[in-house]
Amino acid sequence: MVTEVMTAPVLEIRGVGKTYVSARTGEAIEALVGIDLEVRRGEFLAIVGPSGCGKSTLLSLIAGFISPSKGEVRFNGQTVTGPAPERGVMFQDYALFPWRTVTGNVEFGPFSRGVPAAERQRRAHELIKLVGLEGFENRYPHELSGGMRQRCALARMLANDPELWLMDEPLAAVDQQTRTILQDELLRLWGDTQTHATAASASVVLVTHAIDEAVFLADRIVVLGRRPGRVKAIVDVPLPRPRAGVRASSEFAALVEHVWSLIRDEAVQAIAEEVS
Amino acid sequence: MKSTRSKRLVIWIVGIVILLAVWEATVRGGNQMTAWPYPSGIFAAAVALLADGTIFAALGGSLQRVVIGFAFGALVGIPIGIAMGVMEPFNRALRPVTESLRAIAPIAWIPLAILWLGVKGNAALFVVAYSAVFPFIVNAADAARSVDRNHLRAARSLGASRWLILRSVVFPSALPQLFTAARIAMAIAWSSIIAAELAVGIKIAGGGRSVAGMGQLMVETLYVKRDVNALVFGMLVIGAVSFLIDAGQRRAREKLLPWSQKS
Repeated sequence: MVTEVMTAPVLEIRGVGKTYVSARTGEAIEALVGIDLEVRRGEFLAIVGPSGCGKSTLLSLIAGFISPSKGEVRFNGQTVTGPAPERGVMFQDYALFPWRTVTGNVEFGPFSRGVPAAERQRRAHELIKLVGLEGFENRYPHELSGGMRQRCALARMLANDPELWLMDEPLAAVDQQTRTILQDELLRLWGDTQTHATAASASVVLVTHAIDEAVFLADRIVVLGRRPGRVKAIVDVPLPRPRAGVRASSEFAALVEHVWSLIRDEAVQAIAEEVS
Repeated sequence: MKSTRSKRLVIWIVGIVILLAVWEATVRGGNQMTAWPYPSGIFAAAVALLADGTIFAALGGSLQRVVIGFAFGALVGIPIGIAMGVMEPFNRALRPVTESLRAIAPIAWIPLAILWLGVKGNAALFVVAYSAVFPFIVNAADAARSVDRNHLRAARSLGASRWLILRSVVFPSALPQLFTAARIAMAIAWSSIIAAELAVGIKIAGGGRSVAGMGQLMVETLYVKRDVNALVFGMLVIGAVSFLIDAGQRRAREKLLPWSQKS
């Protein structure tokens, strides 16, 4: 019984489709069709694909911000009907509350759930230390650098101890050096060890357009195709953990090349359409 | 650097002095001293009005009504506006009413207000409250409607209830625009109170004495004292007060919303 709970996927996506109706033309647009996916407990899953493939739509469906037109999303066996603190979200633009300080942002989750002040302050302090924002507790988001905002958003998400981390291109808006450092830190916070895949660790679904980032971070990579958005391939990443030294290896380069070969044609087409 | 600045100040003062001297000379030379104000006359009127406290009493009367009317506008307008912004059915029901009422200039209500509320200051108060409420409604509704979608999503995924989202996301998001609304409302309220008091004040000539404000003081100055210099001094005071109020509101925003400054 216990093993069954442990091996059951934390997230199941069954035959999910999402159709939008354009408000202007009344035309139906299929953003996603027939998505079948599972996220195992403690797994780090990355979703990549050319622009317009519905990556962010899929993440919004898992978060419960929107509902599927077809099929269902199940979290711990329960159908997702809306957002919940167990499914923490990190937004591409961070979506930090500009009127709250770093501490105020990090405390928001526990505050919302009615955690007593002393307890949530202790937790916020601990997380701020963990993400390296000590000394910036009373700064407002507009007073922070891009990398620091990203850390703050991560701490805010972690303050609720979510079982599933949903991350929408969290590193897209920072420069390459910051990005590399933050990738390492993200793995450190998640628990980058070979024995990580236990019922206790968090599962991650990370959307990115950077293939090397997906290969570096994830256990599996879901490659989405476009028009309509669908699962084109699922690629296993058998690179050993911890991953810190893996970027220079030939296996890493080969995997990046392989995933890129799956996306290339549609990515080129997507860019051509954007230009025309 | 410092010398150029003081040099500029000297030039500025000299320019003003020359301008005032030419003005004074023109009015005196043309023998138009009852119809046209002149600098020394305005100064004398200022001294007289300041010395006997008349100007302070009038200013106090007007400001009191502005503050009450403004507070009413904020307390009524902000909740209505936010409700309109977050609840579409409420917006659809109320919008035609607020839009048509808003189209009527506050001053156009003065005759009815006098009829209903009399000249004892309540009519002017009504006009001020009326003029202040709409900037708050319109801006609060707009601000509540344009809250960043990801802020709402973030709050929901962090576990916030609807009420908490309203209090901790929608309201703070709206604050910068509400401060702008407050500046507009205050400017309209301050100009409406003068207009309302001018209109109400005419009744003074009929014998009744209403609660004095700047408007009444000016009417009295014009019809009873026929002192153009005191009239101009009153105008200067009105201008200075609106300038100070606006500067104060800008400072209040900087102090109260440190996060909304552009870095």
